[in-house]
Amino acid sequence: MSKFNNWKAIGTVLGETDINEYHFSLKNYKAKKGDIVTTASRLPSTDGTVIPVTVWGKISSIERFNAFFPAEAAQELTNEDIDIRDTILPTTKDELRCKVIILGYTEDGKEKISKLLPLNYPVMPAAIVKYPSSKDVEELFISDLDSSHPISIGNLLARKDVEIKIDGDNLISRHISVWGMSGSGKTVFVRRILTELLNLKYPSFVLDIHGDYLGFVQKQKKYFPDNKVKLFYPNLSVRAEDKEIVYTLIDKLGNTLTDPQKDFLNSLLEKIKYEGGSLLQYIKLLNLKAREFASSGSTSFKNVKPASMFVVARSLRIVSKKLENMEQTNARHRRKMSHLKFEELPDSATEPEKIISKGQMSILYLRGYENLPASAIVSIVLENLFRHRQEASEEIAPFFTVIEEAHNFIPSRSENKDDIPSVDTIRKVISEGRKFGTGVMIISQRPSRVDETIASQCNSQVVFRIVNQRDQRATTRDSETLSNDDAKQLPNLANGQGIISGQIVNYSLPVQIKFDEKLINDDIGNENFIDTVENWDDKESVKLRKKFAKDFADINEIDSRRAN
Amino acid sequence: MTLKIDIKDKIKQNSSMFVNFIKNAITASPKVQNNFLEVTTKVAETALKIIKDADLIVDLNYKGKEFWSINRCKTSCFIDGGVDRTSIISSAPLSIRAGSYIVKPDATSKREFFEESMVFLGDLYDPKNELYDFVDDDFEEDQMLNKKKDGARIIFEAATIVKHILLNKKFDYCFLHGPLEATVMPFTVAGFPTFTKFAVENMFPFINKNSNIESRHFINAYLEALNYIKKSKFPIYGIVETSNSAPYIKNLLFNYKIKGTISDKDYNSVIKTIKKYKITDSHILEIILSSGQALKPLEVKKQLAGFTVTSGSAWEEKMDSFPKVFIGYIKTSDNQAPVRIESLNYPKYLIKDYEYILGTSRLLPNYGFPVGLNVVDKFAKIPNWMSKTSRKYYATHLLRQAIKNKDQNTVSLAVKILSKKSRSWKNRPIGGISK
Repeated sequence: MSKFNNWKAIGTVLGETDINEYHFSLKNYKAKKGDIVTTASRLPSTDGTVIPVTVWGKISSIERFNAFFPAEAAQELTNEDIDIRDTILPTTKDELRCKVIILGYTEDGKEKISKLLPLNYPVMPAAIVKYPSSKDVEELFISDLDSSHPISIGNLLARKDVEIKIDGDNLISRHISVWGMSGSGKTVFVRRILTELLNLKYPSFVLDIHGDYLGFVQKQKKYFPDNKVKLFYPNLSVRAEDKEIVYTLIDKLGNTLTDPQKDFLNSLLEKIKYEGGSLLQYIKLLNLKAREFASSGSTSFKNVKPASMFVVARSLRIVSKKLENMEQTNARHRRKMSHLKFEELPDSATEPEKIISKGQMSILYLRGYENLPASAIVSIVLENLFRHRQEASEEIAPFFTVIEEAHNFIPSRSENKDDIPSVDTIRKVISEGRKFGTGVMIISQRPSRVDETIASQCNSQVVFRIVNQRDQRATTRDSETLSNDDAKQLPNLANGQGIISGQIVNYSLPVQIKFDEKLINDDIGNENFIDTVENWDDKESVKLRKKFAKDFADINEIDSRRAN
Repeated sequence: MTLKIDIKDKIKQNSSMFVNFIKNAITASPKVQNNFLEVTTKVAETALKIIKDADLIVDLNYKGKEFWSINRCKTSCFIDGGVDRTSIISSAPLSIRAGSYIVKPDATSKREFFEESMVFLGDLYDPKNELYDFVDDDFEEDQMLNKKKDGARIIFEAATIVKHILLNKKFDYCFLHGPLEATVMPFTVAGFPTFTKFAVENMFPFINKNSNIESRHFINAYLEALNYIKKSKFPIYGIVETSNSAPYIKNLLFNYKIKGTISDKDYNSVIKTIKKYKITDSHILEIILSSGQALKPLEVKKQLAGFTVTSGSAWEEKMDSFPKVFIGYIKTSDNQAPVRIESLNYPKYLIKDYEYILGTSRLLPNYGFPVGLNVVDKFAKIPNWMSKTSRKYYATHLLRQAIKNKDQNTVSLAVKILSKKSRSWKNRPIGGISK
């Protein structure tokens, strides 16, 4: 006997139906947007018989209207400040009309709910719509997911008691994009995934700009005793092959150079060979050499005057200064978290196993670095790690990369930042990653500013609250499974509520992501700056400076007095 | 002079006057067109003088919030009927219903109630589910079919009011969408069928069960119903949006003729002019009354024998016995023509009742009509999808029967019946040499 008979009737199918969607009239308060509903139907089977089935669908929109309430009455009620309940206007004639996106059907008469099959015959108009039990919805999701590594991410938005799991295998190999405004729940979702990957001992590499994932380092011993969580700070080390990246960095970070000056820089890079090591040291060396050539009036560079060489030397000095500043800023942030063990990022070319290892999460703390150097670092590291996966020796295990603030690393073509070094690397990793087990998760609050080709190669998507219409359009543009109805819902999602779609779930589902509160970074604070100012007390050095300033002001005042 | 200018200005601002003007422009001679504005102005001036002389204009009071805080305790019933618009020649399927919207704003439970008071779904000639007695018609014209539908709707609306009275409902007001007493002359046509015994007994149990078949004719049954309604304990009003005739003005002039204030000659001449220019109460009163003003009711004889009723015949006598109707007008909004208010008795609390009608109309400020009737109109109306569906169903049934018959002529007839109203591809002229 079908489980259908045990579920509560909540509505009736309306008018014309097709194999993709139908509408139904809903009983008051019996279902919400995003709910899973069913209707009984009969289909012609492949052997010519007619079989009873249960058609499953998701409520994608609900319209509520009172056809008996004339719009112009509202005008009078407002103008005259009249309460509708005092008048003869009807208040109870609301009608609810739901649109249902059909997910598929399951055959009746089976003990367990089977995998969903695509519907090929429309549901019956006037059929009863029922509300399946949470247990049965969960059973459907699990059976449909058919995953050997399901990962729990939260619950169905409309039903707290329906757990939602995603397919771990598709997640780590097919790439995923995570979009949403600041504070909408992106990090909550990423923490959830990283937690589950740690439990599976699957290696991950996280590019952390704001320190959102340092909670894993803080709580590693307590919650992940069998895992390693490594925290790295960048080491700008380069090899001879990275000449192009070095050139781009100098070109973009330094002064604008003329064509002859650029020629000189290129020749300099050719002439001053570098065997690998710190980028900063290399740039300092280049600066020194450029000065020497300029002072000696060297003629070894065709058509380059000493003045041009000085300009290049000055530019190199600026670049080295900037890099030093970034390193110092990063170090300052690290010092604030002195209880955490930061390690210098190992050389990804020669010691990749220190970054990627079974059961290990590696976090690269990029705070303080401008986009371009950060992009160069990411490009070099990912390029090396990917090469190690490509090579037959396979020195490192498959791994999963998390790229925060992705619009900085893979900007859209419309941003005119094509020469950002990480674009090509990530594009390569994402297009070939499936073969080599290098899955990528790209996260951004501005999907419209992310490279379209890379975004469209993410087979799954999680979208949190998005208000900007350009970004809303970008989410549907990059997804094959996110509908326009889903996109309409995006501005209204609350924190931690998102729409998950793609190969990790098979169809788009509105979900409430499970919040792993225990993994919040304790050092980030609650951003309550008003309280901070309220409790503010100047440091001793500042107090002293203020005191001296007053003394000097007194001296100046006496000095400026007119003599009698 | 001031009066004249004032009325002319009002005419210029008055949209429905111009609608009528355009109608005249299409149908009337150029001379009539030229005279239209001048004639209407003159008639309006004269009518206003008489109305003022008779002290018929009353100013109604309405202050939104205050009005509804006082009237929230009133129970009102709004009634309307609906007929499907299926148009198929021959034995037509028919669905008619009359609905009631009953509302008591301050009720703690069941504040509002929608009731399908009378429903009929069936076939005019189906002996198992009949409304009218079977008649052996030589011809079945659309006109007759429409008359039957109209008759059924009118009788259903009356039966709904009767039902509420019989059930001893405690209404403060009852409103019918449309005239409380419809003109019965169209139903005096020869061959108009009588209602079945079953239908009349169910609608009007007070009609003597043993009476003859004639008592089940529309006119007799309707008369009985109206006489019953007239005795109601609660006030009942029929509300008409637009008047296509001028009963109020004509009766006013008639009363003044009887009093001797207007000569027979002048009376006859002005009545002729009103008819010639198709001037209606709505047109005249729209420019005479201001928003929130009403005209006190006049007693009017609605049933006037036309050419179908022979002088001295039984129908003429019967029509004379219909109750007279009290007709008043309220201008509910600046944008709309005054609404006509009909009752079978002179209103006991005229001002209060008219103010209630004004108040309920102010909730539809642009349309200027009691909002409760708008609500029940939507409720009772038989929607297009229902009519279309029943037509489709009927068409399929008819064709299936014809095809089963296997006779080509029967099939052709069925196709013609179904496509009578539209230029179907089936009936297109065949090109080339005809067979």
